[in-house]
Amino acid sequence: MDAYFWIILVVGLVSTVLCVGAGILKKAPNDVTILSVAAVELALVVYLVGSIVRVIAGERIAGEAWEFWGYMATAMLLPPAAAYWSILERTRWSNFVLAAVGVTALVMAARMNQIWY
Amino acid sequence: MKDQQARPAEDAPARNTRNTGPGRLLIAVYGVFAISATARAGYQILTKFSEAPLAYLLSAFAALVYVVATVSLAKAGSTWFKVSVAAVLVELAGVLVVGTLSVLDSVQFPHETVWSLFGRGYGFIPLLLPILGLAWLYRRRPSQAKAAQ
Repeated sequence: MDAYFWIILVVGLVSTVLCVGAGILKKAPNDVTILSVAAVELALVVYLVGSIVRVIAGERIAGEAWEFWGYMATAMLLPPAAAYWSILERTRWSNFVLAAVGVTALVMAARMNQIWY
Repeated sequence: MKDQQARPAEDAPARNTRNTGPGRLLIAVYGVFAISATARAGYQILTKFSEAPLAYLLSAFAALVYVVATVSLAKAGSTWFKVSVAAVLVELAGVLVVGTLSVLDSVQFPHETVWSLFGRGYGFIPLLLPILGLAWLYRRRPSQAKAAQ
Protein backbone atom coordinates (compact mmCIF):
# COMPACT_ATOMS: atom_id res chain seq x y z
CA MET A 1 0.00 0.00 0.00
CA ASP A 2 1.44 3.34 -1.01
CA ALA A 3 0.87 6.89 0.18
CA TYR A 4 -1.97 7.42 -2.27
CA PHE A 5 -3.91 4.61 -0.66
CA TRP A 6 -3.36 5.97 2.83
CA ILE A 7 -4.46 9.45 1.76
CA ILE A 8 -7.66 8.05 0.29
CA LEU A 9 -8.15 5.84 3.35
CA VAL A 10 -7.98 8.79 5.73
CA VAL A 11 -10.02 11.18 3.57
CA GLY A 12 -12.57 8.48 2.76
CA LEU A 13 -13.05 7.45 6.37
CA VAL A 14 -13.35 11.06 7.57
CA SER A 15 -15.92 11.71 4.85
CA THR A 16 -17.89 8.59 5.70
CA VAL A 17 -17.90 9.37 9.42
CA LEU A 18 -19.03 12.96 8.77
CA CYS A 19 -21.82 11.86 6.44
CA VAL A 20 -23.03 9.03 8.67
CA GLY A 21 -22.99 11.45 11.61
CA ALA A 22 -25.02 14.00 9.69
CA GLY A 23 -27.45 11.28 8.64
CA ILE A 24 -27.90 10.07 12.20
CA LEU A 25 -28.52 13.65 13.31
CA LYS A 26 -31.27 13.78 10.67
CA LYS A 27 -29.62 16.56 8.74
CA ALA A 28 -30.04 17.08 5.03
CA PRO A 29 -26.86 17.09 2.92
CA ASN A 30 -25.03 20.32 3.67
CA ASP A 31 -21.76 22.03 2.81
CA VAL A 32 -19.78 19.86 5.23
CA THR A 33 -20.95 16.51 3.88
CA ILE A 34 -20.80 17.52 0.22
CA LEU A 35 -17.35 19.11 0.64
CA SER A 36 -16.11 15.97 2.40
CA VAL A 37 -17.14 13.98 -0.66
CA ALA A 38 -15.45 16.59 -2.83
CA ALA A 39 -12.30 15.96 -0.78
CA VAL A 40 -12.53 12.27 -1.68
CA GLU A 41 -12.69 13.28 -5.33
CA LEU A 42 -9.66 15.53 -4.83
CA ALA A 43 -7.72 12.67 -3.26
CA LEU A 44 -8.60 10.52 -6.28
CA VAL A 45 -7.42 13.29 -8.63
CA VAL A 46 -4.11 13.34 -6.76
CA TYR A 47 -3.88 9.56 -7.20
CA LEU A 48 -4.74 9.91 -10.90
CA VAL A 49 -2.14 12.60 -11.57
CA GLY A 50 0.48 10.77 -9.53
CA SER A 51 -0.21 7.55 -11.42
CA ILE A 52 0.05 9.28 -14.80
CA VAL A 53 3.36 10.82 -13.78
CA ARG A 54 4.68 7.45 -12.64
CA VAL A 55 3.68 5.75 -15.88
CA ILE A 56 5.31 8.53 -17.91
CA ALA A 57 8.42 8.21 -15.75
CA GLY A 58 8.63 4.58 -16.87
CA GLU A 59 7.15 2.70 -13.94
CA ARG A 60 5.31 -0.49 -14.85
CA ILE A 61 1.90 -1.51 -13.54
CA ALA A 62 2.27 -5.10 -12.36
CA GLY A 63 -1.32 -6.09 -13.06
CA GLU A 64 -3.59 -5.31 -15.98
CA ALA A 65 -3.18 -1.65 -16.85
CA TRP A 66 -6.70 -1.23 -18.21
CA GLU A 67 -8.13 -2.78 -15.07
CA PHE A 68 -6.28 -0.19 -13.00
CA TRP A 69 -7.54 2.71 -15.11
CA GLY A 70 -11.03 1.23 -15.15
CA TYR A 71 -11.11 1.26 -11.38
CA MET A 72 -9.72 4.78 -11.38
CA ALA A 73 -12.34 6.08 -13.81
CA THR A 74 -15.20 4.38 -11.95
CA ALA A 75 -13.99 5.61 -8.57
CA MET A 76 -13.77 9.16 -9.86
CA LEU A 77 -17.35 9.02 -11.14
CA LEU A 78 -18.78 8.10 -7.73
CA PRO A 79 -18.39 11.38 -5.79
CA PRO A 80 -20.02 13.60 -8.43
CA ALA A 81 -22.79 11.05 -8.98
CA ALA A 82 -23.54 10.78 -5.27
CA ALA A 83 -23.37 14.56 -4.79
CA TYR A 84 -25.75 15.13 -7.70
CA TRP A 85 -28.14 12.56 -6.32
CA SER A 86 -28.01 14.01 -2.84
CA ILE A 87 -28.97 17.41 -4.20
CA LEU A 88 -32.00 15.94 -5.98
CA GLU A 89 -33.50 14.73 -2.72
CA ARG A 90 -32.32 16.66 0.29
CA THR A 91 -33.15 14.25 3.09
CA ARG A 92 -31.04 12.60 5.75
CA TRP A 93 -30.91 9.49 3.62
CA SER A 94 -28.90 11.27 0.99
CA ASN A 95 -26.20 11.72 3.61
CA PHE A 96 -25.98 7.94 3.88
CA VAL A 97 -25.60 7.78 0.11
CA LEU A 98 -22.75 10.28 0.42
CA ALA A 99 -21.30 8.20 3.24
CA ALA A 100 -21.05 5.22 0.93
CA VAL A 101 -18.67 7.13 -1.35
CA GLY A 102 -15.75 7.27 1.11
CA VAL A 103 -15.87 3.57 1.95
CA THR A 104 -16.28 2.56 -1.69
CA ALA A 105 -13.41 4.80 -2.75
CA LEU A 106 -11.06 3.31 -0.18
CA VAL A 107 -11.98 -0.25 -1.14
CA MET A 108 -11.35 0.61 -4.78
CA ALA A 109 -8.08 2.33 -3.90
CA ALA A 110 -6.97 -0.81 -2.08
CA ARG A 111 -7.77 -2.85 -5.19
CA MET A 112 -5.93 -0.35 -7.39
CA ASN A 113 -2.90 -0.69 -5.16
CA GLN A 114 -3.02 -4.48 -5.50
CA ILE A 115 -3.14 -4.17 -9.28
CA TRP A 116 -0.30 -1.69 -9.40
CA TYR A 117 2.16 -3.71 -7.32
CA MET B 1 -59.39 0.05 -2.41
CA LYS B 2 -60.37 0.50 1.18
CA ASP B 3 -57.10 2.01 2.31
CA GLN B 4 -56.28 3.89 -0.84
CA GLN B 5 -55.14 6.86 1.24
CA ALA B 6 -53.55 4.88 4.01
CA ARG B 7 -50.97 7.53 4.87
CA PRO B 8 -52.25 10.82 3.55
CA ALA B 9 -50.06 13.19 5.55
CA GLU B 10 -46.59 11.71 5.40
CA ASP B 11 -44.85 11.55 2.06
CA ALA B 12 -47.66 13.50 0.52
CA PRO B 13 -48.16 12.14 -2.99
CA ALA B 14 -47.32 8.62 -1.73
CA ARG B 15 -47.19 7.11 -5.15
CA ASN B 16 -46.14 3.63 -5.94
CA THR B 17 -42.43 4.28 -5.61
CA ARG B 18 -39.46 2.91 -3.76
CA ASN B 19 -36.83 5.45 -4.69
CA THR B 20 -37.04 7.93 -1.85
CA GLY B 21 -35.61 8.01 1.65
CA PRO B 22 -33.83 4.78 2.62
CA GLY B 23 -34.60 3.47 -0.84
CA ARG B 24 -32.08 5.89 -2.28
CA LEU B 25 -29.29 4.42 -0.16
CA LEU B 26 -30.40 0.95 -1.17
CA ILE B 27 -30.37 1.88 -4.86
CA ALA B 28 -26.96 3.51 -4.49
CA VAL B 29 -25.44 0.38 -2.94
CA TYR B 30 -27.15 -1.86 -5.48
CA GLY B 31 -25.81 0.42 -8.20
CA VAL B 32 -22.25 0.10 -6.96
CA PHE B 33 -22.63 -3.67 -6.87
CA ALA B 34 -24.16 -3.70 -10.33
CA ILE B 35 -21.22 -1.78 -11.75
CA SER B 36 -18.50 -3.69 -9.92
CA ALA B 37 -20.06 -7.11 -10.51
CA THR B 38 -20.59 -6.39 -14.21
CA ALA B 39 -17.03 -5.16 -14.64
CA ARG B 40 -15.61 -8.07 -12.73
CA ALA B 41 -17.65 -10.72 -14.52
CA GLY B 42 -16.83 -9.19 -17.87
CA TYR B 43 -13.15 -9.19 -17.00
CA GLN B 44 -13.23 -12.80 -15.77
CA ILE B 45 -15.09 -14.08 -18.80
CA LEU B 46 -12.94 -12.19 -21.30
CA THR B 47 -9.58 -13.14 -19.81
CA LYS B 48 -9.82 -16.49 -18.02
CA PHE B 49 -13.19 -18.06 -18.72
CA SER B 50 -11.82 -21.58 -19.20
CA GLU B 51 -10.31 -21.65 -15.72
CA ALA B 52 -13.69 -21.84 -14.02
CA PRO B 53 -16.62 -21.50 -16.42
CA LEU B 54 -19.26 -22.22 -13.80
CA ALA B 55 -17.97 -19.66 -11.33
CA TYR B 56 -17.62 -16.98 -13.97
CA LEU B 57 -21.04 -17.64 -15.44
CA LEU B 58 -22.37 -17.27 -11.93
CA SER B 59 -20.52 -13.98 -11.66
CA ALA B 60 -22.24 -12.79 -14.81
CA PHE B 61 -25.61 -13.97 -13.54
CA ALA B 62 -25.07 -12.16 -10.24
CA ALA B 63 -24.15 -9.02 -12.12
CA LEU B 64 -27.37 -9.26 -14.13
CA VAL B 65 -29.42 -9.68 -10.96
CA TYR B 66 -27.84 -6.58 -9.44
CA VAL B 67 -28.52 -4.55 -12.56
CA VAL B 68 -32.17 -5.63 -12.62
CA ALA B 69 -32.54 -4.91 -8.90
CA THR B 70 -31.01 -1.45 -9.24
CA VAL B 71 -33.18 -0.44 -12.16
CA SER B 72 -36.41 -1.89 -10.82
CA LEU B 73 -35.99 -0.29 -7.39
CA ALA B 74 -35.57 3.08 -9.05
CA LYS B 75 -38.77 2.73 -11.09
CA ALA B 76 -42.31 3.41 -9.95
CA GLY B 77 -45.35 1.19 -10.33
CA SER B 78 -46.57 -2.27 -9.40
CA THR B 79 -44.87 -4.09 -12.24
CA TRP B 80 -41.46 -2.78 -11.26
CA PHE B 81 -42.28 -3.66 -7.67
CA LYS B 82 -42.78 -7.28 -8.72
CA VAL B 83 -39.57 -7.21 -10.72
CA SER B 84 -37.78 -5.88 -7.64
CA VAL B 85 -39.17 -8.60 -5.42
CA ALA B 86 -38.17 -11.27 -7.93
CA ALA B 87 -34.66 -9.86 -8.35
CA VAL B 88 -34.08 -9.53 -4.62
CA LEU B 89 -35.42 -13.03 -3.94
CA VAL B 90 -33.18 -14.48 -6.65
CA GLU B 91 -30.30 -12.56 -5.12
CA LEU B 92 -31.05 -13.94 -1.67
CA ALA B 93 -31.33 -17.47 -3.02
CA GLY B 94 -28.14 -16.98 -5.01
CA VAL B 95 -26.06 -15.77 -2.12
CA LEU B 96 -27.34 -18.57 0.12
CA VAL B 97 -26.92 -21.36 -2.44
CA VAL B 98 -23.59 -20.20 -3.85
CA GLY B 99 -22.36 -19.32 -0.39
CA THR B 100 -23.18 -22.80 0.89
CA LEU B 101 -21.80 -24.55 -2.18
CA SER B 102 -18.58 -22.57 -2.03
CA VAL B 103 -18.09 -23.74 1.53
CA LEU B 104 -18.96 -27.38 0.83
CA ASP B 105 -17.54 -27.88 -2.65
CA SER B 106 -14.47 -25.76 -3.04
CA VAL B 107 -13.46 -27.73 -6.12
CA GLN B 108 -16.27 -26.44 -8.30
CA PHE B 109 -16.10 -23.02 -6.68
CA PRO B 110 -12.44 -22.28 -6.23
CA HIS B 111 -12.69 -18.90 -7.88
CA GLU B 112 -14.15 -15.75 -6.54
CA THR B 113 -17.68 -14.70 -7.30
CA VAL B 114 -19.60 -11.97 -5.54
CA TRP B 115 -21.59 -14.59 -3.68
CA SER B 116 -18.72 -16.92 -2.71
CA LEU B 117 -18.54 -17.56 1.03
CA PHE B 118 -21.70 -15.51 1.50
CA GLY B 119 -20.03 -12.45 0.02
CA ARG B 120 -17.14 -12.42 2.46
CA GLY B 121 -14.92 -10.72 -0.10
CA TYR B 122 -17.37 -7.82 -0.08
CA GLY B 123 -17.80 -7.45 3.65
CA PHE B 124 -20.88 -9.70 3.63
CA ILE B 125 -22.82 -6.86 2.06
CA PRO B 126 -24.18 -9.27 -0.60
CA LEU B 127 -25.82 -11.24 2.22
CA LEU B 128 -27.15 -8.13 3.94
CA LEU B 129 -28.49 -6.37 0.84
CA PRO B 130 -31.33 -8.74 -0.08
CA ILE B 131 -32.57 -8.79 3.51
CA LEU B 132 -32.64 -5.01 3.67
CA GLY B 133 -34.11 -4.98 0.19
CA LEU B 134 -36.99 -7.25 1.15
CA ALA B 135 -37.66 -5.22 4.29
CA TRP B 136 -37.80 -2.05 2.26
CA LEU B 137 -39.99 -3.59 -0.43
CA TYR B 138 -42.37 -4.83 2.26
CA ARG B 139 -42.68 -1.39 3.76
CA ARG B 140 -43.41 0.10 0.36
CA ARG B 141 -45.60 -2.70 -0.95
CA PRO B 142 -48.23 -1.43 -3.34
CA SER B 143 -50.84 -3.91 -2.07
CA GLN B 144 -51.83 -1.34 0.53
CA ALA B 145 -53.95 -0.18 -2.37
CA LYS B 146 -54.72 -3.35 -4.26
CA ALA B 147 -56.33 -1.45 -7.12
CA ALA B 148 -52.96 -0.62 -8.58
CA GLN B 149 -53.55 -2.44 -11.83
